Amino acid sequence: MGKIMLDGHAIPFKLGDNILQTALEANLEIPHFCYHAALGSLGACRLCAVEITPKDSGKAPRVAMACLEPSEDGLKVSVSAIAAQQVRQHVIEFLMINHPHDCPICDEGGECHLQDMTVVCGPPYRRYRGRKRTFPNQDLGPLIHHEMNRCITCYRCTRFYQDYALGNDLGAMRLRNEVYFGRFQDGPLENPFAGNLVEVCPTGVFTDAIFRQHFARVWDLKTAPSICPHCSVGCNTLPGARDGTLRRVRNRAHPELNRWFICDRGRYGHQYSEHSARPLAPRVSGTDTSYHDALNAAASQIKSTQDCIGGLGSTREDLEGNAMLQALLNNLGGIFTAFSDPKLETATIAAVSSLQNIGNAPSLAEIEQIDAALIIGDLTAHAPMIDLALRQAYRKGAKLAFLYSSPTPLAQFATTAITVSPQEMCTELSRLYQLINAQSAAEDITDTPMTDIAASLMGARKSLLIGAIETMTSQEVSTLSKLATALGSDTKLAYAFSGANAYGAALLSPTGSAVAMLEAVEAGQIRILIVAGNDPLGDSRFGTRWRAACRNLSALIVLDCILTATAKAADILFPVAAWTERGGTFINYEGRAQGFATVFHRPEYLPNVARVITDLAQYLGHSLQAAPSVLGDIFSDFQIPKPGTTGSLITAPSLPMPATASAHSIQESCNSTWQAALASWYGDEALASFAPGLMALTPKTVAMIEPTSAIDAGIKNGSKIKLRGSSGSMVLSVRFNQDVATGTIAIARNVLVQLGVGHGDSLELEQVL
Amino acid sequence: MNKKQTNNYTLALIKGLGRSLWAVLRHAFVKRETVSYPDIKRTLPSRWRGRIVLTRDPDGEERCVACYLCSAVCPVDCIHLQARQNGDGRRYPETFSIDFSRCIFCGFCEEACPTLAIQLTPDFEMCERHHESLVYEKNQLLIDGQGKHPGYNFYRHAGVAIPGKAIGEAEGDTPPVDRDNNLP
Repeated sequence: MGKIMLDGHAIPFKLGDNILQTALEANLEIPHFCYHAALGSLGACRLCAVEITPKDSGKAPRVAMACLEPSEDGLKVSVSAIAAQQVRQHVIEFLMINHPHDCPICDEGGECHLQDMTVVCGPPYRRYRGRKRTFPNQDLGPLIHHEMNRCITCYRCTRFYQDYALGNDLGAMRLRNEVYFGRFQDGPLENPFAGNLVEVCPTGVFTDAIFRQHFARVWDLKTAPSICPHCSVGCNTLPGARDGTLRRVRNRAHPELNRWFICDRGRYGHQYSEHSARPLAPRVSGTDTSYHDALNAAASQIKSTQDCIGGLGSTREDLEGNAMLQALLNNLGGIFTAFSDPKLETATIAAVSSLQNIGNAPSLAEIEQIDAALIIGDLTAHAPMIDLALRQAYRKGAKLAFLYSSPTPLAQFATTAITVSPQEMCTELSRLYQLINAQSAAEDITDTPMTDIAASLMGARKSLLIGAIETMTSQEVSTLSKLATALGSDTKLAYAFSGANAYGAALLSPTGSAVAMLEAVEAGQIRILIVAGNDPLGDSRFGTRWRAACRNLSALIVLDCILTATAKAADILFPVAAWTERGGTFINYEGRAQGFATVFHRPEYLPNVARVITDLAQYLGHSLQAAPSVLGDIFSDFQIPKPGTTGSLITAPSLPMPATASAHSIQESCNSTWQAALASWYGDEALASFAPGLMALTPKTVAMIEPTSAIDAGIKNGSKIKLRGSSGSMVLSVRFNQDVATGTIAIARNVLVQLGVGHGDSLELEQVL
Repeated sequence: MNKKQTNNYTLALIKGLGRSLWAVLRHAFVKRETVSYPDIKRTLPSRWRGRIVLTRDPDGEERCVACYLCSAVCPVDCIHLQARQNGDGRRYPETFSIDFSRCIFCGFCEEACPTLAIQLTPDFEMCERHHESLVYEKNQLLIDGQGKHPGYNFYRHAGVAIPGKAIGEAEGDTPPVDRDNNLP
């Protein structure tokens, strides 16, 4: 640790930092283009020229690139030296030679690094009178607009795309002053983190194609610190709104979670709040009405009933909304749960319980430092940013092992990847547990992939066990936590939950209440069901039962901001604010409570769930406490986290581990040879599925089957098959895929819903000739 | 006070009165500067800052590309617009409104406009009975001519492609690079 002298100011530096990093750390700007904190120094743009005075007084000062020159104690650096200024001015003048006259119609204008640097360093007028070089553009899909003329060849895009996000369909072509950044052929960028190119590019080559359709300048956007609602990672975002509509979402750095990047689901999924079919007026029996009439209707229904009342919260609804619904149900003597799927409920509670026992899940920054990981299921769809963190770990040499049933993009970086059918996953995990517990894995004679996984986990300095909860059973969760205990304290355990607030929802839901509620509705004991942000009727595994059960209800009261199957079937529908239109708290996969702020208001009156519940209680003659004190009663010393802060881990009473023998585990596994697996992709999520731009990239609906088992059953690649589940059948074409487990058919979520089967349930297959 | 001084004062008084009387008399026959508005209207200089218009380029297309610079520079925040993207690549304002009850006719918007679209005209006769009628929408602002700056077409200089002008066909552009060819 020493100090460099930057224009006469002594600035401390960390060993190994270069001059540019040292200056940026001290909030002193040295003009630069190609340096990026995540991508490092390259020295391609030549803009960060500084003058360095050697310690040896006999030597003349020299101009060097700040991003390539290591900081040394006592080093004399000058940014303002005439020689350095001249170099920077010439660099900008050269970069501007071919830059098109586009600023008025360029979406980057106003937040353009090139604009800023030209104003800071460059000559005010163009001297060059020659002709400009031009490039053709490419169609990069519905999310990213390409305007190659504006390129300044800083290589940030390919360094992010290829080196950081490990994508392989964007690269540099040609040579000299004609270097071209693009795909080999037109087509959407395949990487789930491609949207970051918009922020990484210092000029307007890659711009947000969704924002472009309804463009506003950055100075006109209303912003407030927010949290991404699309998965349990809880990335910090900065949504921008104007004129009562949400326009875009950008990354907001969090030191331990998302530092520079967010995934495309977080960046483009926000369009759900602008969906044309979004309910904006309260509805009673299908007709639009006022908020007070709807509250009156709901209150009179609840008052008139003698039966029990059910309250179904949600994993994507904030902590306040769930807690207020629970408080109302406590007052009315009803049942509350946040899960419509009992299997998901037990798995999530088991996962939260095991995290409470073993220790908190690692942050993304910690995940990047691990050197071995065991990954159960598909993380790219269930927690995209954990996928990106694991890609960084892989770049540093971490060994990634996979146990998965359906294709997962991350498996291409696997050291060991084993496809396991959903029903055998628990057995395989137990085998791994036995191997590790026996302590003999390393010397085991049989060199199977499983012993490789055991050896890499046991040999690792820091290892990680992680699973996607949606495709796991509670037995698998408990086996994985036993595995983590067996591996010792250097092993971290984490789960990718389904829903931004799944951790918080699990803390509020008593074990077994989901199945109790479903059975009570089926038996006609519950006649009124309040659903807040959940979609029981659109559930894949239990949707059929819920749809049948809901016919017994006298009133289905739904609070939601999207038009789900449940919202469509609602007797009384309260449209509520989407996440940018209200403040709240989400608890992420680590148990970190993070607050998000209201970004803007729509012209329509859209209350949040907590507000509707409070008003409903008032109409019923009950008075509920305000959300902060309700939460304070549940979690001791709980303070609502301030939006824009890093959040803090929640201290909650420890959850009991649910009994592993779940009544709703696979019952009819032996009847059929085929089982269903969820084939997910990164845009596949309840809210994001209402975002048209993202949905344009949905993979083609096919039935993916492993080739050998398909050929054994006489199924050809491309042939048609008819799949039959509990609630319907569907004809799909077959696509062979090596990444599907034997005896498993991997199908998309909407197909699972239509068939009425869940991940791991059995399917009937019939060949269509 | 002596007698000589008194005579001087009297002389000066008579002189002054005479001059004033003469001036009044002379101006009674001079052509008048004041015109009886509104029966007679004066021709204002073309750079007079009055009612704001949106002009068209020589091809008859809207010049405004909805860059938001006018609304950003406006010191009284009287310009509001929303950009839209045409399917063919041209950007245009979907809505464009100027609140003339707020406008101070400073002309900053005209100076900021990179496409010479927004121009101030010598028309100042904009009285209305209601405030709301002074909010001019795009159909009231857009004129069918080029205004003070004939001949300028922003898209002929910009790098983006529009119908009738592909990449590399702008003034001062070279034909586009063939990215699939690695020959120098």
